[in-house]
Amino acid sequence: MSKLETSSPRLLLVDDEVAITANLASFLERAGFQVSTAQDGVQAIEQMKRIQPDLVILDVLMPRMDGRQVLRQLRQGGDWTPIILLTQVGEASERAMALEEGADDYINKPFDPRELIARIRSVLRRARPGQPPLAAAWKLICGRLVFDRRARRVFLGEQELTLTPKAVALLEYLMTHPDELITRERLLETVWGWDYPVGTRTVDTRIAELRRELGDDAVTPTYIETVPGEGYRFAGKVEGQA
Amino acid sequence: MKRWLWVALMVVPLACGGMGAVLFWLDVLPNRIAYLRIDLGTLFLLLGLMTGSVMLGEALRRVVEERRQRVFLQRMQAEMVNERHEFLRRLDHELKNPLMAMRAGLANLTGTELDAPQREIIESVETQILRLSRLLADLRKLAELEIRPLDCAPVDVNELLQDVLTMTEERPEAEGRQITLTLPQAPWPLPPVSGDHDLLFLLVHNLLDNALKFTRPGDKIELRAFEDGARVVVEVADTGAGIPEKDALLVWNELYRGENARGVPGSGIGLSLVRAIAERHHGEVFLRSRLGQGTVFTLRLPVYRK
Repeated sequence: MSKLETSSPRLLLVDDEVAITANLASFLERAGFQVSTAQDGVQAIEQMKRIQPDLVILDVLMPRMDGRQVLRQLRQGGDWTPIILLTQVGEASERAMALEEGADDYINKPFDPRELIARIRSVLRRARPGQPPLAAAWKLICGRLVFDRRARRVFLGEQELTLTPKAVALLEYLMTHPDELITRERLLETVWGWDYPVGTRTVDTRIAELRRELGDDAVTPTYIETVPGEGYRFAGKVEGQA
Repeated sequence: MKRWLWVALMVVPLACGGMGAVLFWLDVLPNRIAYLRIDLGTLFLLLGLMTGSVMLGEALRRVVEERRQRVFLQRMQAEMVNERHEFLRRLDHELKNPLMAMRAGLANLTGTELDAPQREIIESVETQILRLSRLLADLRKLAELEIRPLDCAPVDVNELLQDVLTMTEERPEAEGRQITLTLPQAPWPLPPVSGDHDLLFLLVHNLLDNALKFTRPGDKIELRAFEDGARVVVEVADTGAGIPEKDALLVWNELYRGENARGVPGSGIGLSLVRAIAERHHGEVFLRSRLGQGTVFTLRLPVYRK
């Protein structure tokens, strides 16, 4: 049974700004979550041992121990509690690092609190208790499609695909969030790091590039499904390999 | 002083000294013993050598000084770019948390019982917070543009312009404007340019967005492109309000809002981004405008070479 179907999930919200934790905590509580808060990384580790949350919302820049150190320490210790990072800097390297270090998802500040709830729900839905998330796998496999994240190379059967760096990053995000409806705006913000109105067509162009290379049909897709008027969904079943 | 003058100042005394020495030694001129028992030939040679050496030293000093200043200026420029980037990064960081707290606070309020005027106030505050967030994102993007590596590949300008046009026509602001695209077909279509497709898309989009803002229903907007050998030239022309002469150079500056732009929505970053993107692609962009008649923006980008 997934965690959403049990009693209200326990969240740990970690941010050094009291104004953020106070407002977000009560917003999340009203959305049906049990919320505890911590002001820095050291407190977060202590709280985690005590309350064993179902999911942690972790700010990156904090005093004493920053979010990245907390994430690293937990993952190295084999703790795979789902984590959503609140990233500060919208740069591509920062975003790539968040996933590589084992965060389940990330969201750039300042975000729409309703979007955070949507992310929490989808991460909880995807979570496999005690197991690493797909975001932490070095190899993503979906049938004949193999994504080698360390080498940033994509193979379809024996053949290596020639993709632009942006298309590679887009495929990576889609494959690490399978069966999840992802809006164009969210792809822009997470993969491109922009929230420009210009971008939605840019996303479509890159999706078209991916489909062309993958030999995927938009009408009966094997990999990338279009959700009309909303966004895209990775339709294939993805397996992760360490 | 010009470099050739320094070379002349160095060579002339040497040549005079050498010539004088030869004339005295060959007894063309009477080569008498002068002070300190040096014959005049030797004295002339020594004087020439001394003066030439002084001038040579001075010329070298100036060359070294010029080079030092050039290196210093380059370093200063690089430091300024870095400092600006660092400043915008810090500003981004410092403003994000308060903005986040405000958004979370407002989201809390929207869940409570509110009457219509209260809801209106909250919506208005939310709009302003979103505006601030967008401005912040724009500034960060501008800073990132100056240092981030580009995803360079051949870009089909025909397709790109067609895509931007389609997107612009779909916008409600485009209603009533006659927007046209002219692309050359003969003797050959436009060649590709080398660049980051998404950034070039943003560049043309911002120019068209600007044209939409400063035109009214019934006005014409022309998007056209041609090739001038080494470069692809893209023009966005409109029959809108035009830009006052005193603003024409300033509209490229960050956050600058010209006289005509008061009351027009926008952050004052759009054209700065246009220029930054053009320059990162080794291109150039400039504008010509006549008040009350319209404006044309011209973008030149190098043709893609294998």
